[in-house]
Amino acid sequence: MPRSKPNRSRATPRRKPRPHPAGRGRGRPRIQRERRARTAASGPLDVLAPSVGASPQNGFRPTVRLEVARRPLSIAMVGWEFPPRHSGGLGVHSYELVKELSKLGHRVLFLTPFTGPFTPVPGVGFRFPGDAVPGPSVEYPPAYWAGETPDSPFENSIDGYNAWVERLSNLGPIDVVHVHDWFGTYGGAALARRLGRPMVMTVHSTEYDRSLGHPWDHILQRELAGIRSAARVIAVSRHLRQQLIDRYGADPKRVRVIYNAVRPTERLERIDPTKRVVLYVGRLAAMKGVDTFLRAAARVLPAFADVLFVIAGEGPEYPRLVQLAANLGIGERVMFLGKVTEEERELLLEGSSVFVLPSVVEPFGIAALEAMAAGVPTIVSKTSGVAEISTGTFRVDFWDVEEFASRIAELLEYPTLRRAMGEQGRWEALREGWPERARETVTVYLDAMREAGLPI
Amino acid sequence: MLSNVARAPRAARLRAAGAGSAEDPVLYGRPLAGRSARGSRSGGPAVKIVLYLHLHQPWRLARFRYLDLGSGRTYFDLERNLGIFRGIADRCYRPAMDRLLRALEEDPEFRLSLSVTGTFVEQARLAAPDVLDRLRALRRTGRVAFLAETYYHSLAFLVPPPELDEEVALHRELLRSEFGAEPKVIRMTELAYSDDLARFAEADGFHGMLAEGWEGVLQGQSPTYRYCAAPAPTVLLLLRHYPLSDDVGFRFSSTSWSEYPLTADKYARWLAATPGDLVGLFMDFETFGEHHSAKSGILEFLSALPGEVRRHPHLGWATVEDAVQGPPRAPLSVPYTMSWADQNRDLGAWLGNDLQRSAFEAAKKVGVLVRQADDPGALTDWRKMLTSDHFYYMYVSGHGADQGVHQYFSSYESPFDAYANYMNALSDLRRRALEKLGVPILK
Repeated sequence: MPRSKPNRSRATPRRKPRPHPAGRGRGRPRIQRERRARTAASGPLDVLAPSVGASPQNGFRPTVRLEVARRPLSIAMVGWEFPPRHSGGLGVHSYELVKELSKLGHRVLFLTPFTGPFTPVPGVGFRFPGDAVPGPSVEYPPAYWAGETPDSPFENSIDGYNAWVERLSNLGPIDVVHVHDWFGTYGGAALARRLGRPMVMTVHSTEYDRSLGHPWDHILQRELAGIRSAARVIAVSRHLRQQLIDRYGADPKRVRVIYNAVRPTERLERIDPTKRVVLYVGRLAAMKGVDTFLRAAARVLPAFADVLFVIAGEGPEYPRLVQLAANLGIGERVMFLGKVTEEERELLLEGSSVFVLPSVVEPFGIAALEAMAAGVPTIVSKTSGVAEISTGTFRVDFWDVEEFASRIAELLEYPTLRRAMGEQGRWEALREGWPERARETVTVYLDAMREAGLPI
Repeated sequence: MLSNVARAPRAARLRAAGAGSAEDPVLYGRPLAGRSARGSRSGGPAVKIVLYLHLHQPWRLARFRYLDLGSGRTYFDLERNLGIFRGIADRCYRPAMDRLLRALEEDPEFRLSLSVTGTFVEQARLAAPDVLDRLRALRRTGRVAFLAETYYHSLAFLVPPPELDEEVALHRELLRSEFGAEPKVIRMTELAYSDDLARFAEADGFHGMLAEGWEGVLQGQSPTYRYCAAPAPTVLLLLRHYPLSDDVGFRFSSTSWSEYPLTADKYARWLAATPGDLVGLFMDFETFGEHHSAKSGILEFLSALPGEVRRHPHLGWATVEDAVQGPPRAPLSVPYTMSWADQNRDLGAWLGNDLQRSAFEAAKKVGVLVRQADDPGALTDWRKMLTSDHFYYMYVSGHGADQGVHQYFSSYESPFDAYANYMNALSDLRRRALEKLGVPILK
């Protein structure tokens, strides 16, 4: 009796290729960008809005297929460096990835040629040559970084590492072997074969790119071996995926794109990612006019349920401003982040819809210029120096709370305006940089010298 | 700084004053060195100058804040608009109209044509009724033709029917009641022209229409002849001779122009050296005293021109209605909408960027609601907001230098300011219409 054909239809639809994420190739900001306001009965008045929201430049990503494991998985991760013994991005990537995998309840055994101890992560174990766990002993020259030719200790150490990985025992149950880049592809593939488990390989970069088109053959061979052996290959960008298909003959069906990410600090994680952000960055001093910002917030917030006002910075006015927010009845929707790092500020800007510089006195206002450079539509007080050099900002009298509120609301309400002003501001902020300012300064030096009768 | 806010969207055409024109000197009959004026043929002047001046003022919006939504505030700043009008009336309308009246008295051959928008007449009634008296006096000479157009100087031709028909009908009625004029020739806002608009003109019974004499559509033919619309041959086309028009309209007071200063005598010689049947000199009325201040000598130029033209026997004058009498030389086809603005002569000055398109699309949507709501006050407000100037203020020039030119004529600090203000007022108008329709407003 003929058996009926098993149903092979896909459980999930094919994924569409994903555009690059927003920003400067840094991955998706946690704060969601460009969420559209929904208004009255007949939909948004700004009819160009839909196309704005969907453009890849605006950080839009199609939904990614996500499947939840029914049981905790055990992953043998054939890695390379790991904090604190790391010199580059691969170590950071490994650290963040295993941390999150562990949070999801999975167990990771991280295999590395480096000698511990490593930054402890709950649920993550480490194995390295010479650790206390009984296992294979290998010749393992420590000067792995020194050589450049295949005969060098470097090559030997790579071979040693791979041989060690291949022969590892006492691993416990393993579901998947995950290899990063070319370092451990031979060993990882052999280990996966021995255990009868699939191998997954993440490619962070290719030898073609690293060598500017003149690849070391032995590295190329390791890459090819990994890509051939892996059941699934993860590329960190669409561009890289295409390269793996074109140059390495990878099977397109088996290559997935998973972007790198940045880790938002805990401070930023407090910001509700479903909210749009109106941002102030700067000191909390009286001359900064942050109270105007809060009073404007109180006028805007009732009309926009999806908006948060965020204040990043510290200063003497802090207690008074917190009190003011409470008095205005908007304490719940104003966040005081305290002083933020450079990286946090960039992330904040990337995720903000509007930036406001309400200063009473502001000789220049570089925070506004930075916001403009990040493409965030910006409102400045007319008294700020930055107001002199920009037409792509809204300029408001520092005392005019109603006008600040209206300008904020207009930018929140009209996406086309937000985008156009963001573009114009970005162009204005970047059109002249420090090189021009340095040249102008030199001109001043020369004027002064000439006036002093000095030879120039 | 009143002149800064004086309207003149047409100045989008402003090229760097004095910059060499790109036109073909032969095609355009530019006076070449050593060329002498042709003698008169028998049977009257051979070349007719069609002088056409355009009068318009928009209803500029007041600052309408987002927080003003639903407050019942009016959208238009009456005092400011009338103040601007009075200023321009002093500097331009009165002196220039007086000079034109005198020229018509002195020279029985002198003729000209005028277009006057509905919004202009509305403001003149309130700010300077004597300007309307002067226009009536011009009309009474019998040698001044009035042109039909959209009442609100609007982009109605891009709005679903019946907006265009209604606006043209409103404007016709206005010309009849205000000046006793029955226009036979039509011009569209910003000299917009296309095959479709020619069909519209034909259906509405017009004998002629104005268009830009642009090389792109002339295909090597000269603009100094009468043409007809290819899809509507009964509609004759009069084309703007843009180099000669812009010599006066833009370059007159430019000291960096190689021909500066332009005298009536020199200009008449250029006209005399231009081959063809018709020379279309189409420009804003505000050229005389507003775009070029009285100090530039533009008013004296205007006074002197008919006398200088008279010295060339083969030159004469014609109104647009005179000029459409006669057979066309060839049919012209313009499948897209052409205008008299900017280097591209398209609608880019009004609908070229996302802000402008977004605002215009929003206006169209609100128009549907306003018509459904059947509220005459809302309909009038909406139509005033269709005036092309509002979109012109939202022009962002791709970070180029012409931003300054557009900005000069804008009543706003920036195009973003213009957009936000317009959208606020429009949102309020929509809210009114929705209220009238009994639709609950969610926000």
